Amino acid sequence: MSTAPIIEVTNLHKSFGTNIVLRDVSMQVAPGEVVVIIGPSGSGKSTLLRCLNGLEKPENGDIRIEDRSLMQAGVKITEIRSRMGMVFQQFNLFPHLNVLRNITLAPVQVRKQTPIKAEELAMSLLGKVGLLEKAGHYPASLSGGQSQRVAIARALAMEPQIMLFDEPTSALDPEMVGEVLAVMKELAAEGMTMVIVTHEMGFAREVGHRVLFMEQGVIVEEGTPQMLFDDPKQERTRAFLSKVL
Amino acid sequence: MHFRFEIIFDYIPLLLKGAALTIGISALAIVLGSILGLVVSFGKMSTRWYFSWPISGYIHFFRGTPLYVQILIVHFGLVPACIGHTDAIVAAVTALALNSAAYTAEIYRAGIQSIDKGQTEAAQSLGMTSGQTMRFIILPQAVKRMIPAFGNEFIVLIKDSSLVALIAAPELMYWSNVMRGQYLRVWEPYLTAAFIYLILTYSLSKLLGWMEKRGVTG
Amino acid sequence: MGKRLSVLLAAGILIMTMAACGAKSDNSSGSSSESNKNEKVYKFATDAAYAPMEFMDKDKITGFDVEFLKAVMEEAGLEYELKNTGWDAMLTEVESGKTYDAGISSVSITPEREETYDFSIPYFESTNMIMVKEDSTIASAADLKDKKVAVQGATTAETLMAGIMGNDNSNLKRFDSNAVAMLELDSGGVDAVVADIAIVREYMKNNPERKLKGILDTASFGSEFYGILLPAGSELKAKLDPAVTKLLEDGTYTKIYKEWFGEEPNIDNVLNAK
Repeated sequence: MSTAPIIEVTNLHKSFGTNIVLRDVSMQVAPGEVVVIIGPSGSGKSTLLRCLNGLEKPENGDIRIEDRSLMQAGVKITEIRSRMGMVFQQFNLFPHLNVLRNITLAPVQVRKQTPIKAEELAMSLLGKVGLLEKAGHYPASLSGGQSQRVAIARALAMEPQIMLFDEPTSALDPEMVGEVLAVMKELAAEGMTMVIVTHEMGFAREVGHRVLFMEQGVIVEEGTPQMLFDDPKQERTRAFLSKVL
Repeated sequence: MHFRFEIIFDYIPLLLKGAALTIGISALAIVLGSILGLVVSFGKMSTRWYFSWPISGYIHFFRGTPLYVQILIVHFGLVPACIGHTDAIVAAVTALALNSAAYTAEIYRAGIQSIDKGQTEAAQSLGMTSGQTMRFIILPQAVKRMIPAFGNEFIVLIKDSSLVALIAAPELMYWSNVMRGQYLRVWEPYLTAAFIYLILTYSLSKLLGWMEKRGVTG
Repeated sequence: MGKRLSVLLAAGILIMTMAACGAKSDNSSGSSSESNKNEKVYKFATDAAYAPMEFMDKDKITGFDVEFLKAVMEEAGLEYELKNTGWDAMLTEVESGKTYDAGISSVSITPEREETYDFSIPYFESTNMIMVKEDSTIASAADLKDKKVAVQGATTAETLMAGIMGNDNSNLKRFDSNAVAMLELDSGGVDAVVADIAIVREYMKNNPERKLKGILDTASFGSEFYGILLPAGSELKAKLDPAVTKLLEDGTYTKIYKEWFGEEPNIDNVLNAK
């Protein structure tokens, strides 16, 4: 890869009590790259993603985002986070705020944008995810697919350099998966750097530039979707794929 | 038992005046107590020992000693030490607020911890500081869930405030004691006072029930 | 509407429960007095928190009233038993007259109290005294009008000060005991305490370091007289009154009085009262 990586993970180690979740994990993501992480549940893929914006604290190793280490003492984690959007499996919309306020809160409070400017941006993002008419609604009245699209708009409102997706379609009814994936696809097409943990193999193959297969806390194999899906080198990858495809 | 209603009518204006002060003292105490309780609950949840230890001591003291004694200590110890002389109403509000804070802290803790962890994570992932997360995301949701518990605490305070008659704060119980003193009769003043307390607490619990039904809370 | 009814119902249940409890304790005492039928043991109640008149010395009730009662009952040839019931319980028990036959607790005889109770003939003359800090400028009851004053509730001091200051004057502070009222003076919450002369003297004697002085104002605070508290229409009055008179006249009273107060009582005042 010619350009400097925007995310650089080296020798990451993380455990919960005696349970080791990440063993010596290293990976890089280039600007504009779409990296998809697949693997069985409990393989550590979500933990790896959550380490990237500091929601989990690894014990060892280093994470550099835009060449700034997360592990250094005194690092301004909130500043790094504000340049990285995250979309959760359970949406995590703020139920006491309407859709518009969900989106504008962080830009106004964290980026100190004027409310008018934040609202303009929010409305254009809502248009982008196809939910303009829901601006005044509360999260409780939205379907799962709509909620997740609002959550994506909320993350985008911070105008992040990187978007992290933690199983964004796993909590959705099957008929709503498509609308969320469509938004993500559009985002990828615009050149957003994305790291996606997902079980949607079709999506991984279609949109991913690179696919990582994780199991038991290590990256077993990585490569282009074609390489990984059509010609896996490792026995464990083959075993996993035969189960999910 | 012969019940002398005429002495109740004599004292009704004073009893009502006392009831007004009962409400005033309790309301002020619940407001101050819940502000202080918020501070206390943050202290309790703090991972730094020099915050959490003194706060723990505070909670243990005010939950583990009789309010009766706390009122005396505040009235004859704390208030004179702070303002040079003692004052029954200041002491009453202070003692009840300090006592109440030890309990409302627990309401805050339970309310804050009842909010899904995902809310904090979502707020943090947007770059909010923990202060901003607390202020814009957690507290607004938690407070709604806490309103019934605060209402109950208010009812408890109204009843507990009867103890400040001890230091001659002229509230409801105080005036029924005065009434008792004049006629050396016990049931007329005490049952009348109990009845007024019942009206106060009953209306308050009805109001809370109405708020809950209207969906103002939880 | 239904709700209002249920509140009334709840209040009714409350009162009935209390009535039932009262009835139960009556029964138990009835059976115990039956066991010694030949000689009735009269039960006296007191609020032993009023030194030196009646107070607890460890677990024993003592004080002037206690010694005086002993002499009266001896003179009348009656068996009796004295219990520290506290003030409120004494009042309710003596009013009903079922469990307790009388109360002795420095109870001043007043017209309002006579509406509910009977009293023995007066047995003690008292007056109220003003207690202030040594450097106070207060010199008489009239000086107290716009000052902050502490009294014990349900005492004649309260009645007198309510008369001078107004019943609903917030500067008149009534406490549950004289001990707390006097503490209020120490803490600067009030400018003066008004209480029974015996109580004030006892307090000043026990707390010389507090630098207090007592002021007598006989013009404003007239004499008042204690009586033994009896249920209305009590048959005991006829037995007690002659015994009280006898003790006052034969010097026994004077002897007990001097033991407790170190001075001579004015017997004539007590005998001529009322």
